[in-house]
Amino acid sequence: MKEVVRKGCTVFSDHGPAFGWDGGLLRKGGRVIKETQLTGEYGAVLEKEQRSFMTGNEVVAWAALAAEADFMYGYPITPQNEIMHYWSRLAPHFGRGFLQTEDEMAAGFAMLGGALVGKKTFCATAGPGNILMQEPIAMAEMMQIPGVWIIQQRGGPSTATVIYSQQELRLTTAGGNGEGLRIVYSTASHQELFEYTIKAFNRAWQYRFPTFVLGDGYQAKLREAVTLFRPAAKGWTLIPAEPLVRGPGIPALDREPVHLRNTFNIEEELYARLEEQLAAYERLTPEVVEWEVEVGPETEVLLVAHGIVARAAKQAQKMLNQQGQKVGYFRPITVRPFPGTALRQAVGANPNLRLLVVESAYGQLLSMVKAELYGLTNPIDTLLKPGVGVTAEEIVATVTKRAPKEVCHGG
Amino acid sequence: MADGKALKIIIAGEGGQGVQSIGELLAEAAFQAGKQALYIPNFGVEQRGGVSVAYVQISDEEIGAPKFLKADLLTVLSKRSAERTKGYLKPGTIYLYEQSALEAPVIDDRAVGIQGYETVAPEAFAKMVGDKAGKPATPPAAPALRPIGIRAAQTAKAELTPRVFNIIVLGAITKLIKVLPPAGVKEAIAKKFRAKFRENPELEELNFQAFAKGLTMIEAEGMQ
Repeated sequence: MKEVVRKGCTVFSDHGPAFGWDGGLLRKGGRVIKETQLTGEYGAVLEKEQRSFMTGNEVVAWAALAAEADFMYGYPITPQNEIMHYWSRLAPHFGRGFLQTEDEMAAGFAMLGGALVGKKTFCATAGPGNILMQEPIAMAEMMQIPGVWIIQQRGGPSTATVIYSQQELRLTTAGGNGEGLRIVYSTASHQELFEYTIKAFNRAWQYRFPTFVLGDGYQAKLREAVTLFRPAAKGWTLIPAEPLVRGPGIPALDREPVHLRNTFNIEEELYARLEEQLAAYERLTPEVVEWEVEVGPETEVLLVAHGIVARAAKQAQKMLNQQGQKVGYFRPITVRPFPGTALRQAVGANPNLRLLVVESAYGQLLSMVKAELYGLTNPIDTLLKPGVGVTAEEIVATVTKRAPKEVCHGG
Repeated sequence: MADGKALKIIIAGEGGQGVQSIGELLAEAAFQAGKQALYIPNFGVEQRGGVSVAYVQISDEEIGAPKFLKADLLTVLSKRSAERTKGYLKPGTIYLYEQSALEAPVIDDRAVGIQGYETVAPEAFAKMVGDKAGKPATPPAAPALRPIGIRAAQTAKAELTPRVFNIIVLGAITKLIKVLPPAGVKEAIAKKFRAKFRENPELEELNFQAFAKGLTMIEAEGMQ
């Protein structure tokens, strides 16, 4: 089995937001957002679908522009700073805005304010900034206010390094004081950074759960090729942002009043609300979940990795298969919701299959994998390098070391 | 690269020597030549000075991880950076090193910590490349290493201007790796420094001369 399961940029389903003002928009099959004239020197870059060579941070700024984002709120932290720099350079040409706030919490709450009045807002942060951001994100979760967060993971804990890690997987997928009702895409290339940032805006404004692009310092800073484009040119429909409050008509007479709450008086009230939200999240999971898998009945070792490490894993898989080893590959693209069914399917049919979980963290992906494979007895090997990059050569060496010794046939 | 594997290049030196520009220009030229290219700088918390390392991969196929364990070409431009990157050597690595009897200006990491933002910017140090006399560097004793020494600092100082030191090195690398057309690398230089060249056309000429010197330096040394 070799498949890449990606979902379209726009999914029109009945599983829109559980509550709040949505004008019946999504249920009517969506509407193309009014396109801004992307003219001039900058507009031409998107228009011509030029293949460009740039850093990941630059790519994100372009993607936000292409996704019709209105406003970025932010506070500087390496390695995401250039997203702010590029955005604040691009934004004025297209009537978009940028505000540097006094810290990450303020940036997060300002985003929510922007979203309430119908603006597509986003933010980029990393490391300790991601921690501070959890409070507004939890509020967004509770009140189902949409927003897009770009996380360029750096080394942790605390200030640690400004360079790189995958140590913010747990924080980004399950941070806050709730159930982690979020959508998190873990990208592995500049092309994905561009496309998933655009997609993240659509998902956020469709489902109204906080939506993340989980990158890292490597992706932020490295330069590689990317093709930028206008979503419309690919037939991608952008979901417009509309005011969440103060919609047309008189509340209680013409329509249900909008009451976005993050405070509840009694346990049962909260429980009822969470049940609704959890059900909504369960429903969106099959629509949103994405993964990449390559596995067959002969596969002996299944490499499991996400984000940029998945690139090293894919490269290692190729090298090992060229050596005659039978190595497969599984990569969750959405790390929340996690493609658990797909992983179980890839593993479950073959009790002799060994897994090798590889990540630049100490078992954050591993614990997700284990939870999904509960009850199966396949052995799991690990290559865990918290805060450090993983090369294909290291993965090859780990698999080779593990490989069973040659069997002597009746000599 | 003939076997489809990526060509792995490291350029290491002191902050201010123009190491990252070399990496960026190589990758840009490779991209323009229709190859797969990936460039990633290393960067620390310090905003000034320190050892600077650039990682470049050029390939005909998709490139995997941005970093790697062993380099096909390791360029070292200072003593400290040689020490820092010796783990990337493997049998057959081309070891391009600066052997002018001129010391690279080293920014004291400890002093950087003390002085904070008042430390001199690396750009200012660039003008001082090769001002101080020192002992010429020697290649490390590694098995099957292919050492190639150049005198880029001396050439830059005596014949051009110390500021184009890194472009001489870029020329030498271009010649050694053989996968990029020199004209394409020249175009990348022109593109990157367009604004500076417009301001100061003399600088453009100096850079192109430096690049040409770097290219011929490898032939002149007869070590290819």
